[in-house]
Amino acid sequence: MATIPHDHIELSLENSLDHCIKCNICTAACPVSAVTDLFPGPKYVGPQAQRFRKPGQPTPDESVDYCSGCRVCNEVCPTGVRVMELNTRAKAAIVEQNGVPLRTWLLGYQYLFGKLACGPLAPLANVGARNPLLRMLVERTVKIARNAPLPTFSTYSFRSWFKKRPKQQAAPTKKKQVVYFHGCSTEYYEPRVGQAAVEVLERNGFEVILAKQGCCGLPLLSNGAFKPARSHHEYNVEQLLPYAQQGIPIVGTSTSCTLTLKEEAPELLGMHETAVRLVSENTYDIFEFLRMLHQRGELNTNFKPLNRTMPYHAPCQLRAHNLGRPALDILELVPGLQLNESNAACCGLAGSYGYKAEKYQIAMDVGAGLFEFVRASGSDTAVCDSEICRWQIAHGSGLTMRHPIEILRQAYGDE
Amino acid sequence: MRDTVVIGAGLAGLMGALALADAGHRPLLLAKGQGATHWTSGTIDVWGAADGSLREAITGLVASNPQHPYARTGFASLEAAVARFRALTEAARYPYVGSFERNVLLPTALGALRPAAFFPATMAAGDMRLPGPVLLAGFHELRDFFPPLAAANLAAQGIDARGTYLNLPPIKRKLDFNTRSFAQLFDDPAFREDVGRQLRAARGDATRIGLPAVLGLKDPLAVVGHLQQLSGAQVFEIPTLPPSMPGVRLYTIFRDALVKAGARIQIGAEVLRGAAANGKLNAVFSAAAAREQEHHASTWLLATGGIAGGGVRTDYTGAVWETALGLPLRAPTGRGEWFAPRFLNEAGHPIYQAGIATNEQLRPLDESDTVVYKNVAIAGAALAGCDPIRERCYSGMALATGWHAGQLLAGANE
Repeated sequence: MATIPHDHIELSLENSLDHCIKCNICTAACPVSAVTDLFPGPKYVGPQAQRFRKPGQPTPDESVDYCSGCRVCNEVCPTGVRVMELNTRAKAAIVEQNGVPLRTWLLGYQYLFGKLACGPLAPLANVGARNPLLRMLVERTVKIARNAPLPTFSTYSFRSWFKKRPKQQAAPTKKKQVVYFHGCSTEYYEPRVGQAAVEVLERNGFEVILAKQGCCGLPLLSNGAFKPARSHHEYNVEQLLPYAQQGIPIVGTSTSCTLTLKEEAPELLGMHETAVRLVSENTYDIFEFLRMLHQRGELNTNFKPLNRTMPYHAPCQLRAHNLGRPALDILELVPGLQLNESNAACCGLAGSYGYKAEKYQIAMDVGAGLFEFVRASGSDTAVCDSEICRWQIAHGSGLTMRHPIEILRQAYGDE
Repeated sequence: MRDTVVIGAGLAGLMGALALADAGHRPLLLAKGQGATHWTSGTIDVWGAADGSLREAITGLVASNPQHPYARTGFASLEAAVARFRALTEAARYPYVGSFERNVLLPTALGALRPAAFFPATMAAGDMRLPGPVLLAGFHELRDFFPPLAAANLAAQGIDARGTYLNLPPIKRKLDFNTRSFAQLFDDPAFREDVGRQLRAARGDATRIGLPAVLGLKDPLAVVGHLQQLSGAQVFEIPTLPPSMPGVRLYTIFRDALVKAGARIQIGAEVLRGAAANGKLNAVFSAAAAREQEHHASTWLLATGGIAGGGVRTDYTGAVWETALGLPLRAPTGRGEWFAPRFLNEAGHPIYQAGIATNEQLRPLDESDTVVYKNVAIAGAALAGCDPIRERCYSGMALATGWHAGQLLAGANE
């Protein structure tokens, strides 16, 4: 009988090297190498350089740092090579060699700023965060780009809104319960996304449970800071496990948080415990969840017409779920609503990538085609599932950005 | 939510999806990765062996070899498929030219001569049967394209050809180049001005100039026109190693037309298995984060390719299997039967004929010729009974069977 290797992901990554036939389809699709010489492309940095990455030996190629982690290479690879995972593990090896830089700590723990600034102090914090002098200083010292789009701290947190609202009727059966994973951005910056999510789930007869939760750890993970990322994931697994064990779905509106819970953290960190797997298997993107309801004929489709046409961008973090376009599949049920999808590979920001001073312009160049697409639409609003991408597209195009769940909430109208 | 699902994003799958969309369906197209389009030359090869009329050659093949995929579609379907394909590319300002009367001979990047029936207008002046001295030009910075070598090989075949390298016009980026980065450069008129001047200077007595097929992604026909005007010679593209820009252009044209017609394309979704009952396929499952994604539909088109495209796999034990649905295959049994004794065997190797046998309606058959799933049709190189690379019918057969299967499924749905 074959023995199960300690880390089957490591093995599958190693095996995937042999599946690379050097066809360069990934190189032709990579949005980063299309705009900069600093990143030679996924094939070179991924499967080719990987042959030279050996434990105990210095890293052969620092340019892997310029991989934005958008996973377009994984998406297009005809032979199933997992380039992004190779690259992220290579970044982790560099972090292991050199230690975690201060900037990674700041980006990885940005939710602590949220905790401090969200609430009554938000207006003051927002002025401070937009102070050009301060931003210049931050750029000079810790190399966080002064022009990168910072989100606006909310004057109230999502959880405080949830606590204050009138108590809803408990669902008649356990089957009609969901755990909502709001993530840091809904909590501190965009509580309106969480409000829309809760109301949509309730319109479908679900009792929404707000489990204790922390940052998913993706900003640390994608920068190769695996150790602190692991403790973030362990905390969330501990909080979410009791619900997963009861089969209560965990539904999120942040495509990057749900991807981290589903796949990124378990695979990159080699966490294959039953608890981790249970949480992973019970986590859903909210539109994936709604689409499943619809497939079973259980979605409330009592929509009011929304006579609007808007551009839509499927963020790379959503595409990495490999689910197609769940938001489009649901929103096309709304009479009068037309969403036109961009063909852009990536908005450029890719998590924390575009916040780095040396990568800010690359991120803007990657997103240029997308900004042009949404501007040319003539709409004042564009739709995107991922918060970071919404901030970047708003920054690059000047349009107002909405999560698709906010649009769906509108379609349900007032009761 | 979508009543038809197409599996595979090569030419067969894309053409099948187009037939379905034309009939008013909104198919979902699932594919493991970016389709075989990016690996191909972008020409439509109908039948390489034909010296004269392709119409006669295919009609003869249909009569003599009833197991061949062309026999399933007939010449009329092939003709209809090519007409639809040409209308599609024409509408995207990337017209295809050629005919069923005779193959042209287009040069490869090594200077071999390749027969093709239909080809982008940007390759038209490259027909080596046409008279006129040829200059081949390229850049040192573009790997795997060696004009002097290709020209020497053409000259050895009696063609008046020579090759030269051009200087890379001054540009901002210098580190590394591939076919896509060159295509982006050629989209820029200033870059073309410089190249065009060099071509005029290097032209000599050449009446036509061959360049690697990287002449723009946005409007290649305009790029060729511009270079012709600047150089004073006819300009044609020569297909390169992957990623092939003509293939990328084709994929983009299909994608835009399909999405506009309401289809959905999901790349990165490898179909792992299906679920069936009572001779009907009810669901397929594709790879996704955390768990498989389940797709339901009433009709299905399988166009995942053969051994080269990944639809058929083999291993060292001699096993041969179909990767998406585990359909029965017609394949030689045991590794000893896979290959002919001679490597360059003129009749090819039996293993390359491995594929799914079908009935007249392109429905998959098992070993006893019973239909496996009555709501599944097969198209492209996944079909048994042909050796598309050796026969040089890969793209023609993909268009014909994709179109035919799509139309059959659309009819079955009504």
